[in-house]
Amino acid sequence: MKDSKANRVPSWNLAKEVMSRGARIYPLEDLNTLYECVQCGTCVGSCPSGRRTALRIRSMIRGIQMGYREEVLDTNDLWSCTTCYTCQERCPRDVRVTEIVKIVRNIAFEEGRAKERHLVVANNFIKTGHTIPLNEEGKKTRVKLGLSPVPPTSLLFPEALAEIQEIMRTDGFYNKVIRDKK
Amino acid sequence: MADERIGVYICHCGTNIAGTVDVEKVAQRIAGLPNVVLAKDYKYMCSEPGQAMIKQDIRDRKLNRVIVASCSPRMHEPTFRKAAQEAGLNPYLVEMANIREQCSWVHMKEPEKATVKAIALVAAAVAKSVFDEPLQMREVPVTPAALVIGGGIAGIQSSLDLADQGFKVHLVEKTPSIGGHMAQLDKTFPTLDCSACILTPKMVDISRHPNISLLAYSEVKAIDGYIGNFKARVLKKPRYVDESKCTGCGLCAEKCPVNVPSEFDLGLGTRKAIYVPFPQAVPLRYTIDRENCLYFKKNICRACEKFCTSGAIDFGQLPAEVELEVGAIIIATGYDLYDAGHKAEYGYGIYRNVINGLEFERLVNASGPTSGKVLRPSDGKAPRSVAFVQCVGSRDKNANLYCSRVCCMASLKQAHQIKEKFPGAEVSIFYIDMRCFGKGYEEFYERVQQEGVRFIRGRVGEILENPDDKNLVLRFEDTLLGEVAEREFDLAVLATGVIPRADTSELQSILKLSRGPDGFFLEAHPKLRPVETNIDGVFLGGAAQGPKDIPDAVAQAGAAASRAAVPLSMGKVELEGIIASVDEDLCSGCRICESVCEYGAIKMKEKSGKQVSSVIEVLCKGCGVCGSACPTKSIKMCHFTDDAILAQVKAVLRD
Ligand SMILES: Cc1cc2nc3c(=O)[nH]c(=O)nc-3n(C[C@H](O)[C@H](O)[C@H](O)COP(=O)(O)OP(=O)(O)OC[C@H]3O[C@@H](n4cnc5c(N)ncnc54)[C@H](O)[C@@H]3O)c2cc1C
Ligand code: SF4
Ligand code: SF4
Ligand code: SF4
Ligand code: SF4
Repeated sequence: MKDSKANRVPSWNLAKEVMSRGARIYPLEDLNTLYECVQCGTCVGSCPSGRRTALRIRSMIRGIQMGYREEVLDTNDLWSCTTCYTCQERCPRDVRVTEIVKIVRNIAFEEGRAKERHLVVANNFIKTGHTIPLNEEGKKTRVKLGLSPVPPTSLLFPEALAEIQEIMRTDGFYNKVIRDKK
Repeated sequence: MADERIGVYICHCGTNIAGTVDVEKVAQRIAGLPNVVLAKDYKYMCSEPGQAMIKQDIRDRKLNRVIVASCSPRMHEPTFRKAAQEAGLNPYLVEMANIREQCSWVHMKEPEKATVKAIALVAAAVAKSVFDEPLQMREVPVTPAALVIGGGIAGIQSSLDLADQGFKVHLVEKTPSIGGHMAQLDKTFPTLDCSACILTPKMVDISRHPNISLLAYSEVKAIDGYIGNFKARVLKKPRYVDESKCTGCGLCAEKCPVNVPSEFDLGLGTRKAIYVPFPQAVPLRYTIDRENCLYFKKNICRACEKFCTSGAIDFGQLPAEVELEVGAIIIATGYDLYDAGHKAEYGYGIYRNVINGLEFERLVNASGPTSGKVLRPSDGKAPRSVAFVQCVGSRDKNANLYCSRVCCMASLKQAHQIKEKFPGAEVSIFYIDMRCFGKGYEEFYERVQQEGVRFIRGRVGEILENPDDKNLVLRFEDTLLGEVAEREFDLAVLATGVIPRADTSELQSILKLSRGPDGFFLEAHPKLRPVETNIDGVFLGGAAQGPKDIPDAVAQAGAAASRAAVPLSMGKVELEGIIASVDEDLCSGCRICESVCEYGAIKMKEKSGKQVSSVIEVLCKGCGVCGSACPTKSIKMCHFTDDAILAQVKAVLRD
């Protein structure tokens, strides 16, 4: 009966969990609008990702309200959001949609549920201090634009990269990515 | 103060109070307090036998103070005051202690503490009552006339209702004609009567009624006074046309060379610099628009003057002020339409084929700018597909949270009209919920469904324009299928919501009215006093109080008229006895009280060479602000003196 949704057991505290996890960064009273979603679809109708992917951000909000923890945390769609904030700007109920995406990603990440594609990006960051690696073509373009081939960032200053990696070790990010990637 | 004889009555309120508070114990404890002659508990004090008991005790036991410990005074203070009065006791010698809302209901799970608190509250009322003094209600005469502000369907209804009862009515309308938004509508849901056909007979009734004086193109500038005796100053703006001479023939407008966008047609059509907003206008008198008239701009033309056979043009006309005396006022100023330009994602004001619901009404109306042909503004072609976008500016925390209540039905009506005119057209309504709550509304929804209109449950995300053919692309989610889609339409109609009038705050400050969080004028009680306001003698009709369709606007306006008729037909009103009074010897003339009084009830006067404060008794509401602000303690709030309040505090803190 794996795909029978009729018998799933909702975790009624999921909305609370998401909000209190998010309250470390965002005001709780802002996040509280999560309860107010009326499923109008403005978010999905506005979502640039949803036009190309299976992301239906409205369903994620619904899933959180209903307490379907597994589905919410374990879907690939969670990682398809570009965090462009269009949905949040237009939501008539002021649901902090994009912020909620970030919070849910954090929970998923902490539980080792980040998806492979996202971990590749995280790994890039750990190795270079950049999420998108600089390849030969990128260097050529920079030169064409009159820039130095390598930007004056962690790519040029190994001691800066070391500092970034130190921060990532301190807050546990480093170990998490390395472990989960295996 | 030895001769106070206090009777105390503890009400069970069925089990509302007695279920939590130990009422017998309260009675026992209170019976032991000084001056308390008797303390009884009873099932329902507000019942006939409960009141009879109080009356009997006042007579037999010579009570001169009565304490009723029961519910909130809002509901039953008048009941018990009246009972006391019937037994010969001054009604202001009755005190109430609220042991329901403040005790049993809020401390339901802590009966012991609730009982302790009840004892404290009743003891406080006993302590205060010793300081209570007999006060008198004041009676003032009423001018049997009414002022109605706003001549939409609501103001028209209120005016006719009052005038038919024999009262003089002054109807003040801001624009050149009465009629309001209803005059702009084509057909009306759900019955599809032609709006003008049912409105214009009433407009004509207004102009003919012997008891109604219509002040169109006029504005209320100031209102003084109080229930029964208001004085209003009204400014009659110059039309530059003598109303007594103009016959409404329209020759002037025919000859006028200036064309400007017509406000009545929302800029979709034009009018002349001398104009009537629409052919059935009441009063049918022309008005020169000074901003655009060539004579006023460049001192040339005067064509209208040359051709007017009645000699009605009067370029030298000045504004005139009229002073009115009335006993009651009805506010019927209606609503404004939400400006859809605020929702940038829908492109209103940028894409020409995105229009609002009221613009649609003008396009579909036979006397409108397109003679009733619904045509695309961009190319004048008939639309083959039309989208209705619901909840624009309503049910939206970034605009207005409330539901505008008319737009679901208005879009259904308009979708039907498209289907009627262009049976082959594709019509879609994008909605969150279809709200069709009125009589015959759900049935109308079903009818429009049968006509093949498509209903898509999903609030539109954004609208884009195809720059080549000016067609519109709507992006949305069909939430019932969970499918994201883009679809092209020839025309998009935004169901823009209803908002408070832009000048609401001016009228609010003229009358000192309250407004709700939605910005509309606030009624005195949402259920039991829906047409009254916080100012006695001022009533609300129609959409000025909140979004309403015509049936509701008419019902509200009729109710406002019947409430306003109460003081008008009584011929007199009673005013509260609880007011402030000034000790003129103590007053230093600092005027602080004057500046804090919300009701303008304090005026300074001269007394033996110095300025002192004095209370205009009929205006004072007994709010007490002046009393607490006065630095020299020269203002006494009758019934709430410092001594009485301190006695209350001490009694609460005693145990
Ligand atoms: C697109 C659309 C379609 C609609 N279709 C329907 C329908 O089919 N059926 C239906 O039942 N309802 C319909 N309605 C609702 C209808 O318009 C209202 O119910 C009705 O107009 C309310 O009447 P009112 O008199 O309260 O306000 P209004 O019609 O707004 O009239 C108010 C009047 O007061 C005047 N005024 C304003 N301020 C002042 C001032 N300070 N001093 C003096 N005068 C002032 C105004 O000039 C105006 O004449 C529709 C609404 C919209 C937006
Ligand atoms: S736009 Fe807001 S209210 Fe509407 S479905 Fe999305 S999150 Fe819910
Ligand atoms: S923030 Fe994410 S979910 Fe929201 S519109 Fe952008 S991509 Fe879609
Ligand atoms: S004088 Fe003014 S109103 Fe009269 S016809 Fe000329 S422009 Fe029109
Ligand atoms: S009446 Fe309908 S369209 Fe208008 S605000 Fe309410 S739900 Fe939205």
